[in-house]
Amino acid sequence: MEVYERKIMAVDDNKEILNLIEGILTDSGYSHIILAEHAGQAMKLFLKEQPDLIILDIMLPGEDGFSLFQRIRKKANVPILFLSAKDEDEDRLFGLGLGADDYMTKPFLPEELVLRIRAILKRTYHTTEEEAERETSYRIGEREIMPERAVVRWGTKEIPMTAKELMLLNKLYQNRGRIVTFDALCSTVWGDSYYGYENTLMVHIRHLREKIEEDPSHPRWLLTARGMGYRLAKE
Amino acid sequence: MRSLFRIIRRYSLTVGLIILIILVSNGCLLAGILYFTAGQEGVKRYSRMSLEMMEQIGEELGKTKAGGIETKDGKTISQELYVLSEKGYQTLETSEFVWAMALNQEGETVWQWNLPPEIPKQYTIQDVAKFTRWYLQGYPVKVLISSDLLLVFGCDPNLISRFSLFISSGFVKHVPAYGKIVVLINLLVIILFILFFGYRFYGSMGPIAQGIEDLAAQKPVYLKEKGTIGELAGKLNETSRLLLSQNEALARRDFARTEWIAGVSHDIRTPLSLIVGHSDRLAKDESLTVENRMLAENIRRQSLIIRQLIADLNLTSKLAYQAQPLKKSRFLPACLVRSCVSDFYNEGLETGKDGEYEFEIITDDEMEQIQIEADEGLVMRALRNLLGNSIRHNPKGCQVTISLKRQSDFLVFLVEDTGSGIPEKVVDNMANPESPIHIMGLRLTEQIARAHGGKLEFIRRSGGGYDAGLWLPRQKNPC
Repeated sequence: MEVYERKIMAVDDNKEILNLIEGILTDSGYSHIILAEHAGQAMKLFLKEQPDLIILDIMLPGEDGFSLFQRIRKKANVPILFLSAKDEDEDRLFGLGLGADDYMTKPFLPEELVLRIRAILKRTYHTTEEEAERETSYRIGEREIMPERAVVRWGTKEIPMTAKELMLLNKLYQNRGRIVTFDALCSTVWGDSYYGYENTLMVHIRHLREKIEEDPSHPRWLLTARGMGYRLAKE
Repeated sequence: MRSLFRIIRRYSLTVGLIILIILVSNGCLLAGILYFTAGQEGVKRYSRMSLEMMEQIGEELGKTKAGGIETKDGKTISQELYVLSEKGYQTLETSEFVWAMALNQEGETVWQWNLPPEIPKQYTIQDVAKFTRWYLQGYPVKVLISSDLLLVFGCDPNLISRFSLFISSGFVKHVPAYGKIVVLINLLVIILFILFFGYRFYGSMGPIAQGIEDLAAQKPVYLKEKGTIGELAGKLNETSRLLLSQNEALARRDFARTEWIAGVSHDIRTPLSLIVGHSDRLAKDESLTVENRMLAENIRRQSLIIRQLIADLNLTSKLAYQAQPLKKSRFLPACLVRSCVSDFYNEGLETGKDGEYEFEIITDDEMEQIQIEADEGLVMRALRNLLGNSIRHNPKGCQVTISLKRQSDFLVFLVEDTGSGIPEKVVDNMANPESPIHIMGLRLTEQIARAHGGKLEFIRRSGGGYDAGLWLPRQKNPC
């Protein structure tokens, strides 16, 4: 099942916000959207519709979002994203501490909401290995990276990658188009005590370029951000 | 309590000094009185009773053969008579003596002057021995041996007293040592008294001093209102109650204000979500004209600025009223700077403005490894504000240099740009609490620095404008 086919329920006491969420999700390709304005209605719809993901406001009339969260979780382990105007760290930590999959504060960027929902759905619902592989593999130019098997496929050729190279490439891919600092890359591979690994990092990057670039000395995809880190260019 | 000890020490020294001054002045006073009363008069009087005067009179006492005395057997024995010259009488008149006489070897009075009737005319050796060391018929006398005569001068018993003292020579020899011992014992007693009263004073002032210290530390003060310090203690207790209630009122007001700002910013979030969301959708709606989509994009961008302002306002009010606890952790500042700069690059890449601004990070091996303990999120915010400032003030692009430096116990994030720098007007406004809201970012940066025990420094450039330095306390013992 594609992520867009998943059923999403949004609970918010403000009808305008519900309409906005519905609009944003519809624009992004989601078609099964359920809206609820209070906890009672949400519970009823949840039992009836069995949504795959719930976007939950905290400040609701009557029963609040935290309490509703706990009632829903007792019934089913459905992923829940809190979307609240409460921006205190305490609230965020409390929400995540309860076991929420994510916490976003209003006002939110529509694109960010869509990306986070997609990430949660992908994380939660890749059931078969095949599906997982299809979901996790990605393309860089002509080459297809298959993290599950740690190979770069290019036409009929398959080039193996080391675990560290794969970790680095995944990190860059997760932030595709953005600079990832040396620090972030090193701590991904070597943990927190990474000081002194910068030269080793350069060696790994060179090997990666040999595997994913057509001309490793003039990279097109894996670019250097001078003094900062590396960036995997977008298509 | 150290100050109290100082007070007691000074008090003891003062008391010692006072006692010393009183002793010295008493000595002076006594000497003065002796000199001016007994002394001067005594000297005068003594000079009129001097040995010299007595000798002079002795010399003036001449022998004359004035007739004879007839004995029982009819012979006439030439009688020797003693006569005082006129000058001798004058001397006697000026003297303080009230009478005088001369005794010969036999103890007979051979000459006399103003001799009272009760004074005998004949003396035995015993009589002489008696009056020479004591009184003669109630008169203190002075004697002088002149040739073969004993001259006896009587003094006025109302003016002159006479003592005959026998003192052991051992005592006289040891007088200086005894004097020293007496002075020493006196000093010891004085010091003991000073210490005793000082200690009692210290003991009674102790609670007051503690109370004042507690008051300064804004702790509640409850002192027993008893004893000599009862009234003082009462006043301290009342001051403490007043201060506490004022502090509570202030805290309530600060809390109310912070809560109010937090409430308003919370209430703005929902409508702002709608503005951001809808404008974002409109900006992407391909059925609209490019112009309208750009307008929608503009609305979206401005709404995001409002979102940032609300977050800043909320944070600045919390920092101002200490309602924002610092979530401190240890981290590498060099890493934070790279992360912050890469965020700016990434935003530039996303908005297509990359290339306009160039960032350079200057660190060295030491700065790469240095750790600080601070609220990472807040420090990131402060740094973002400084970098954002350089960008905002240089819309045509510039190069921004961030250097990490060590200054004694501080780590300094120095932000310089090749553009115009921070305008003088803004730096002037920072010192003024009434300054307009558009420098909230810088103010927030300063608050974050202060909350960590650091500061925000503005460094004047030679060509005008300012660079900014964010000072944060350095970890003294990095592990």
